[in-house]
Amino acid sequence: MSESAAPEAVVVIDDDYAMRLSCAKIVSKMGLRVEVFEDGARGLEAVAALKPGLVVVDLKMPGISGLEVVSRVHEIDPQIIMVVITGYATIDTAVEAMKSGAYDFLPKPFSPDELRLIVNRGLERRRLALESQRGEVERALLKRTFVTFVSHQLRSPLAAIHQYLDVLQRLDEAGDSPARRREWIGRCLKRTEELQSLIADWLTLARVEGGALLKERVEVDLKSTIVNILENYRAMAAAEDVALEVSLPEGETRVRGDRTCVSVLFDNLITNAIKYNRRGGKVTVSGGFCDGEIVIAVGDTGVGIPEKYRPFLFDEFFRIKDSGVKRTEGTGLGLHISKRIVSEMGGSIEVESQAGIGSTFRVRLPAWREPADDAEMGGWE
Amino acid sequence: MTTGGKRILMVDDDEDFVEAVACFLEANGFTVLRAHDGKEGVRLAKVERPDLILMDIMMNERTEGFFAIHEIRGDPEIKHTPIFVLSSFCSRLPDLEIPAAGGWLAHDMFLPKPVNTAHLLEKIRQRLGKAA
Repeated sequence: MSESAAPEAVVVIDDDYAMRLSCAKIVSKMGLRVEVFEDGARGLEAVAALKPGLVVVDLKMPGISGLEVVSRVHEIDPQIIMVVITGYATIDTAVEAMKSGAYDFLPKPFSPDELRLIVNRGLERRRLALESQRGEVERALLKRTFVTFVSHQLRSPLAAIHQYLDVLQRLDEAGDSPARRREWIGRCLKRTEELQSLIADWLTLARVEGGALLKERVEVDLKSTIVNILENYRAMAAAEDVALEVSLPEGETRVRGDRTCVSVLFDNLITNAIKYNRRGGKVTVSGGFCDGEIVIAVGDTGVGIPEKYRPFLFDEFFRIKDSGVKRTEGTGLGLHISKRIVSEMGGSIEVESQAGIGSTFRVRLPAWREPADDAEMGGWE
Repeated sequence: MTTGGKRILMVDDDEDFVEAVACFLEANGFTVLRAHDGKEGVRLAKVERPDLILMDIMMNERTEGFFAIHEIRGDPEIKHTPIFVLSSFCSRLPDLEIPAAGGWLAHDMFLPKPVNTAHLLEKIRQRLGKAA
């Protein structure tokens, strides 16, 4: 069984002929042995027989799904590295795949270099894992990878704050400079705010997931909600040298929803538009009606969102890491929450963006209609 | 106790965490080099040859620290540099000393994050000894 000198085997499972072929070509050029299969059933059979080091699998296939292949491969051998290919890459599916034990995912289309990199890294990770089996420690650590992915977000600011306080206390004893102390206290406050907005976002998400938007549907007037929010951000916008322009339509702008959630929705869009803007730029909030829906557009004059990132924009924890985009602060949840709120309310949200000109988020929500079938409640006073 | 200007490389993507720990170590006579991702960490390890490395694990939303450690251990010039893992991964583990097996060396350690700096200092001094 042991084959220390033989090259590692890689199994590719994809129903797309061209994709199988090109993956095989790339991987075999890396000096690895490669086998391709067109469906999950045949692929799994081969995995059991071959015990490859790494399996590349398409998530969307007829028959056994890619996710199922991922978990079944790990029943065969938990040390096999799984890479999933996905044509509709969202963090949701990727997280799902990671939960089932995938090592990483490749969104289509990908370049040969990206495949090579991921295969190399995957095999390296496998070697490392195999080598340190005796240590036990790393495996225990890796098992917690997924949980950590989420809790990391909460822990990092807390760890930083704790560390500042810990060191402040110790350095104080040695007589430390007041300037540094002030600077660090400022940083602690900043991280505390980060933690608070993260918790606030998680709570909003829980509220949406808990069905608040279905249970507590009341009349909410968009116009006054938006005007209130803009009022709150006047100072922030002025500090960023960003003008706020608003032109909301005459007439009814009431929708049915949860007051908190509707506020959060426009709060997120408006603060983003202020933050991701340029000095001297502007935020435009405009509105209109279309087919029984109220349409609200929030536009900025920032650098724009590169097209390749747009499909992921509403995903949990997604952040653009381009150098041209200023700041990475924020929880990575704002737009995800906004999208969830809009969908729960039966509406939609979309983004338009042009490099160097700006982005516009357009929200459509069904207009309020008198609930005719609630008439039986009328007798109560 | 003199530390003879020993040099410590700290690899961590949280600038605040690095700032706090680095200042503490500097106040105790060490020189601290800072890297904010695994790649920069490996580069500095190769160029600067620190006496000890403090390594975070979760960077760039993955376990980048493990890759960095693997790369460092693969380079004969620097592979004997002791590495202390400072990660919230380790919060529930006791201070584990890693046996000389696999990618780990006998003088590596795992410490939870946030770290008790007095304890960290003691462990670093033990590792690096008094000799300059």
